[in-house]
Amino acid sequence: MDQETVRTICYLARLEIDQKKSEKIQKDLETIVDLIGGLKNIDTSAIEPLYSPLEMTASIHEDIENSDNQKEKFLKNAPESNDDYFFVPRVVE
Amino acid sequence: MNIQFKSIIELRAMLDNKSISISELIHESFLLAKKYNELNCFVTMNEEVGQKKADAAGSNNKNSSMLFGIPLAQKDLFCTENLRTTCSSKILSNFIPPYTATAVKKLEDAGSITIGKTNMDEFAMGSSNETSFFGNVHNPWKKGYVPGGSSGGSAAAVAAGIVPAATGTDTGGSIRQPAAHCGITGLKPTYGRVSRWGMIAFASSLDQAGPLARTAEDCAILLNSMSGYDSKDTTSLNSDVPDFLANINQPIDGLKIGIIKEFNLNDLDSEVQARFEESKKTYEKLGAKFIEVSLPNISASVPTYYSIAPAECSSNLSRFDGVRFGHRAKNTTDLNDLYIKSRSEGFGDEVKRRILIGTYALSAGYYDAYYKKAQQVRRLIKNDFDQVFQSVDVLMTPTSPNTAFEFGSKGMQNPVELYLEDLFTISSNLAGLPAISIPHGQVNSLPVGLQLIGNFLKEDQLLNTAHLFQKNSDFHLAQPSLEDFS
Repeated sequence: MDQETVRTICYLARLEIDQKKSEKIQKDLETIVDLIGGLKNIDTSAIEPLYSPLEMTASIHEDIENSDNQKEKFLKNAPESNDDYFFVPRVVE
Repeated sequence: MNIQFKSIIELRAMLDNKSISISELIHESFLLAKKYNELNCFVTMNEEVGQKKADAAGSNNKNSSMLFGIPLAQKDLFCTENLRTTCSSKILSNFIPPYTATAVKKLEDAGSITIGKTNMDEFAMGSSNETSFFGNVHNPWKKGYVPGGSSGGSAAAVAAGIVPAATGTDTGGSIRQPAAHCGITGLKPTYGRVSRWGMIAFASSLDQAGPLARTAEDCAILLNSMSGYDSKDTTSLNSDVPDFLANINQPIDGLKIGIIKEFNLNDLDSEVQARFEESKKTYEKLGAKFIEVSLPNISASVPTYYSIAPAECSSNLSRFDGVRFGHRAKNTTDLNDLYIKSRSEGFGDEVKRRILIGTYALSAGYYDAYYKKAQQVRRLIKNDFDQVFQSVDVLMTPTSPNTAFEFGSKGMQNPVELYLEDLFTISSNLAGLPAISIPHGQVNSLPVGLQLIGNFLKEDQLLNTAHLFQKNSDFHLAQPSLEDFS
């Protein structure tokens, strides 16, 4: 794993790594990728992936409103908002 | 009236015979939390609301619930309405949830009183509680030593006798390993047994909530309340919930216990090994039979886990963007900059490491080689368990390869060193199986844990097997002196 790959993953994950820590992170990631890379020696041909231990389809329910509008309660945690919307920096000029 | 180190069953008797009131009991619990503040078990206390609830409950002592009036601590990963919930992260350090997690709500509906939210590894990512934004938790048995993680605050609060029990969550051993390091009992239920609704997600196909307590009996009491189908959790199991407490205390004559051949116990500290051999003898005396079994793929558990868990983490933690809740960076130029700065300021190093690994494992070109591959190996591991549970009832391993260690002594240079802490615990999360850790002695004055892994939905058998051990030993009654903390 080179610095360029680290930069790409950081961008994909929307994370910024301190320059001073960047080499250490690169080394750590290499060590972890080595660890999980060891799985390649296990024969998994014709083995279906097991994405959940329950192997069941997530249960679904009728699409009906089941609680009151809690907009006010939820907007309270927003760093910046008005009575109706979350505020973000301007996206369209 | 001294309530420290008392079990739920003992406190229940004290309340029922009126030697203490609920009000006094809760007050005492808050006093103990303050006295042992230096342990750093709690991130947020619930004193005003908790005491008020206790005072109001005082005259209503007729409620038949075992948990009525009992003080509990909740891991700070469960959302609690109007009570700050941080996941021990800077990014959530100002988050006040508008709702309560189902597991906690069920415990509170049974009459228990939440006294506070416990410290943990940030977003439950760690095995030593050293990744918390709010500082390390000390092991009550030895100052400057880790309590284990990620449910380290919950384990330490129970071990110090501040509360008789606490909630935890277990993604790769986060209930069992701290229970082992702190000398208490901790149960990870079957995946789907306890609702995950309102738990802040780390790795959704592995996370499961469960109890930490002084005894298997007390774990049964908590599990009775926590379990059950919840339509709000799409992976909640719609299966019958037995009365775990009523099923405890059955004879285990003829119980077949499997010892996993692939775990070479000779590599362990000789004292840890000796404890394990002693415990085998205890079970033999109770009529259990030991059978060596093989799980050929189990040694792949650690790499499998460290591909799947970070992948799910990177996806789950994408919700922290500084827009709707949590920390928002100042002085940002545009929306993208706001995301990047808020996340980079808000997450600690271990969380960032795992998000990056997960992002890598899920990215184009690597998905098949890392993520899909790990999920295929996961099936092989689960198949191995299905196979051995045809010939044995439970499996027995040490909970952790070693006892608690000193702050800063592991994983600082190489994170994988700390990941190997989870060697014995991880496989049951991958397969969704229940597992329990019980104390079975000490090495160099630090507790050692014994793990029992059960078949799917067999928590009743695990709790019974653990309870019989505790009926025939006194390791779970040991108490730390705590003289360095008050």
